[in-house]
Amino acid sequence: METLLEILSPDFLLRNSVYVSLLVGMTCPLVGVFLVLRRLVFMGVALPQVSSCGIAAAFALHTWHIIPHVEERSENLLAFAGSTVLTLAVILFFAVMERRGRGSVEGRVGAAYALAGAWSILLLVKNPFGEHGLLDRMKGEVIAVANSDLVLTAGTFGVVVVALFLFQKEFMLVSFDRDMAVSLKKNVLGWDALLFVLIGLTISMSVLSVGPLVTFGFLLLPALTAHLLANTMRQFAILASAIGSVAAVVGFYIAYRWDLPVGPTDVALLGLLYGAALVVKKLFLERTSAK
Amino acid sequence: MDDVAVGYSRRVVLPRVTLHVPRGSFTGLLGSNGSGKSTLLKTIIGVTPPLSGKVQFAPCAGRDPVLGYVPQREALDSIFLLSSLEVALMGCSGRVAAGRFFAREDKSFARQCLELAGAGDLSGRRFSELSGGQKQRVLIARALAAKPDLLILDEPTAGIDAAASQAIMELLSRIHREQKLTILMVNHDLAVMKRCVEEVIWLRNGEASQGRVEAMLTRDKLEEMLNLHFS
Repeated sequence: METLLEILSPDFLLRNSVYVSLLVGMTCPLVGVFLVLRRLVFMGVALPQVSSCGIAAAFALHTWHIIPHVEERSENLLAFAGSTVLTLAVILFFAVMERRGRGSVEGRVGAAYALAGAWSILLLVKNPFGEHGLLDRMKGEVIAVANSDLVLTAGTFGVVVVALFLFQKEFMLVSFDRDMAVSLKKNVLGWDALLFVLIGLTISMSVLSVGPLVTFGFLLLPALTAHLLANTMRQFAILASAIGSVAAVVGFYIAYRWDLPVGPTDVALLGLLYGAALVVKKLFLERTSAK
Repeated sequence: MDDVAVGYSRRVVLPRVTLHVPRGSFTGLLGSNGSGKSTLLKTIIGVTPPLSGKVQFAPCAGRDPVLGYVPQREALDSIFLLSSLEVALMGCSGRVAAGRFFAREDKSFARQCLELAGAGDLSGRRFSELSGGQKQRVLIARALAAKPDLLILDEPTAGIDAAASQAIMELLSRIHREQKLTILMVNHDLAVMKRCVEEVIWLRNGEASQGRVEAMLTRDKLEEMLNLHFS
């Protein structure tokens, strides 16, 4: 209890890391709800990897002087820009290919995952900067978070949450019944594009803060867990975000208390919660509904 | 539609379609599997743009007509945790601006549409857990919630039992009669067509033939269209 109070105290040295974990835990599952509903779970695996590759590419271009020199404190913005540009470009590519109906979605997503992973490593090993800070960044070591990074993360996620809330009606309609949305003269392409931009922004920011593995975990595991327990769409979204938030804080507590890496601890905890939800669903909810 | 080519990207399904859905009519769209019925409907609602030509709608009260679309219910994913009322409310989306929430009047109207479609008692039930006939009623309510000038239905009675199918068709006939609503419906059931519709469009060999039901579903015409010979 003492440790938990220490972590939650405003004087805690790593308080920004706790806040960033909490922001990721709250926001990623809200975006993950749409990935689950649109059956784009594999995209949730590939895009964080693509985002990492974008960060590695931005730093490589910087090291090779293709991008002009930036101040040390602007490195996070550079990483965010690289991550966002590549993630959105890949999302756009997926969307165009899907619309043309060519090839298989799984094939494209799998290829993107493999290529992004390989290129991330290649760009890192050839980048002297990668030997130092970049590998930690990619692993998602949520240790030292500057105030400016916290503000950038909170601002980006704030925009995402407000947009998801305001346009939930439109996102739900185009996700549930695209044809009907067209028949009602809705700008389906525009709404899809906005949703994917929000997904891309969330993934880029989250990968920057906690790394690809943890981003993937927070995108999908809370949403999959909440889907087992929720009865309505509202419950689904709120429960997913609540599970992510609790896992972020409790995961940080466990990692701090027993000196474990934060990101993998969070994901392991989310895995346990998912397993528990499966058991609860099987033992209690299905029996209740059968009666 | 006048000389419109219908299909997907490079594949032409119907090379030259000319048809006219009269205002206030109940029109049935017939054709064998793969004849392009659903593709034609998707072209009419704007999902699949025509490969050549143009789909034209006569204005209603000086504006483009509002379409109410009832898709094949299997096309809707059961992963969505939506209640029947939430599904019906989607029909009101065309009148509610982006970023605005549904008003109390919208919810009340969606409930009225559910009542009208005989699904009033289903409003709180999860849509994905309903039977085929119940889902169809909710989807008809959703289309009605759009306050449509033209109601378009893609095989509303496919895969549901005879009693539910008859109830759905009676509902559509009543809506057509009472609201003078123009209806265009894909259906395989010739008996249903004969009983309910006034106008028939038959797709065959990439072309559309159109006429009054009395003329289109005669014995001779059926023999010709189905390549059969009745003894």
